[in-house]
Amino acid sequence: MTLPGAWPAELTVDALPPLGQLLLSLADDEFVIGFWDSEWTGIAPMLEEDVAMSSLAQDEIGHARLFYDELARLTATDADAIAFGRPMGDFRHARLLDHPRTDWAFTVARRYLYETADAVRLEALVASSNAPVAEGVAKIRREERYHLMHVDAWLRRLAVGQGEGRAKLDDALRRLGPEASSVFAPLPGEEELVRDGVIAASLADLYGTWTGVVGPVMRELRLPFDPIPPTTGGRGPDHGPDFAWLWTEFTSVARSEQGARW
Amino acid sequence: MTDPLALEPLLHELTTPPSPESTLRNDPSASDDDRLAAFTAHVHAGGKVEPPDWMPDEYRTSVLRFVEMHANSELMGVLPEREWILRAPTLKRKLALTAKVQDEVGHAQLLYRVAEDLGKPREQMIEDLLAGKTKFHNVFHYPTKSWADVGIIAWLVDAAAIVAQQALRDSSYGPYARTMRKICWEESVHIMHGRDVVVTMMNGTRSQRGMVQEALDRWWGPLMQMHGPRSDRDKDRDLYWRIKAKTSEELRQEFLGIYVPRIRELGLTLPDPELRYDEAASRWRYSEPDWAELKAVVTGHGPKSQERLEFRRLNWAQTAWVRDALHAAPEAAA
Repeated sequence: MTLPGAWPAELTVDALPPLGQLLLSLADDEFVIGFWDSEWTGIAPMLEEDVAMSSLAQDEIGHARLFYDELARLTATDADAIAFGRPMGDFRHARLLDHPRTDWAFTVARRYLYETADAVRLEALVASSNAPVAEGVAKIRREERYHLMHVDAWLRRLAVGQGEGRAKLDDALRRLGPEASSVFAPLPGEEELVRDGVIAASLADLYGTWTGVVGPVMRELRLPFDPIPPTTGGRGPDHGPDFAWLWTEFTSVARSEQGARW
Repeated sequence: MTDPLALEPLLHELTTPPSPESTLRNDPSASDDDRLAAFTAHVHAGGKVEPPDWMPDEYRTSVLRFVEMHANSELMGVLPEREWILRAPTLKRKLALTAKVQDEVGHAQLLYRVAEDLGKPREQMIEDLLAGKTKFHNVFHYPTKSWADVGIIAWLVDAAAIVAQQALRDSSYGPYARTMRKICWEESVHIMHGRDVVVTMMNGTRSQRGMVQEALDRWWGPLMQMHGPRSDRDKDRDLYWRIKAKTSEELRQEFLGIYVPRIRELGLTLPDPELRYDEAASRWRYSEPDWAELKAVVTGHGPKSQERLEFRRLNWAQTAWVRDALHAAPEAAA
């Protein structure tokens, strides 16, 4: 039996079957953005946004848990072991999520790019042949709808301003634009998932759908948007120094004592 | 995480018919003395005061000061626990802790709204807090050192707070009393989360039990000071106006009565050799809390007072552009 919180040393994420790779990518994306955005709790620009951002971050962690639970069933381990027991190099979130929350404009820019990409991806999973995935996604989409409305409102609000906010938003979008496609980086065994109807289209095709959704909005608002097609390596294993810091933080208590329950 | 049922008492209260005193104290043609007498009689009879009602300046100022400090405390109170949001060791704890801190921010928002109705804008209250002109509760001036602090704060600091807040559900100021009902309901969830963190660690390894005891030892002094020094019931104006319902000592006795047995039941030791229940006097005896420390701490000289205020000031300045952008946004943006 595996102790809670322990990740079996013999289990490597690269050896996971295609379905496991998909679940891991979905869960890690939500987990990592949920952790970064939870850092606004208590210090957001205004109390109303503090409460809102905190809800969004909690939703993301809840979604991560749902996918980790499903992955745990496949790997005979548990969600906390996957989330907190893995080595840093075994995280498979998109490169877009490697950066800290930075400032409010950066958070808005990243949330916009991520939430729109996630919406396209979830759309392709809602009729999944894998029942747990389809059920989980249906539940998640009910919440993600509000996430999109929230971030869309903020993107427009900052975009129409002429001051500091607009300049910061432009900077953030220029910096993040080329990385946004990492949400659609190819997964090992992806062809099998498409063939079996687990996902409705390849990630490369979903990338095309996404640029078709986001491009017109960015043009309408005259915001910079220069995406580049996704490549392998968009999901690690190297995630850079900021994620290394985050990983050290979120594992600091969990890893502080062997075999302890928290 | 508002349960719609939690709003039921609010709705009930709104339908309560006004008392006869309401008419005289709100009658502009009556003399000030008559209105004051009617107001005092109304409050002493257990009546509620609402924002549009006439009220003596002393009452308005006292309620504002009381609620503003409460709001400040909720806002500053998020900082010690916030430090652990990124370090929460399981998915369940991560969700519970983020939700708890979010609740505290929500409480600050509600309380600032109550205070705003009394005539002081929210921005001004936040600026006064950041400038060190107004106060916040002593317990939020101390550092956190381990995950056990998360448990002790959510369990015992919130328990000490809820003892006071439950009494405030009977406050004469209607909006404050109603807000307290919602807050108390949420705080009771926090206490369960905190106790669960503590119980899990007490059932864990020797080192985890040691962490909990060490945290309790550090927090006990501030907890005993939290409700304030004993005061003379007859001279306390907040009691006179029924803004609050109980004295500091009544609240402390109540806290000790409920929580000392619960703390001991978990195998923890309280770091006060004098602490015991005096059957003959029907009250808890304890070592005199360090009132000089309390005074120093709440006037900004606690171990983390200035660092936390500086953190808030820096953050407030760095996010000023967002508030400006929001206020300046044209309607077309919506």
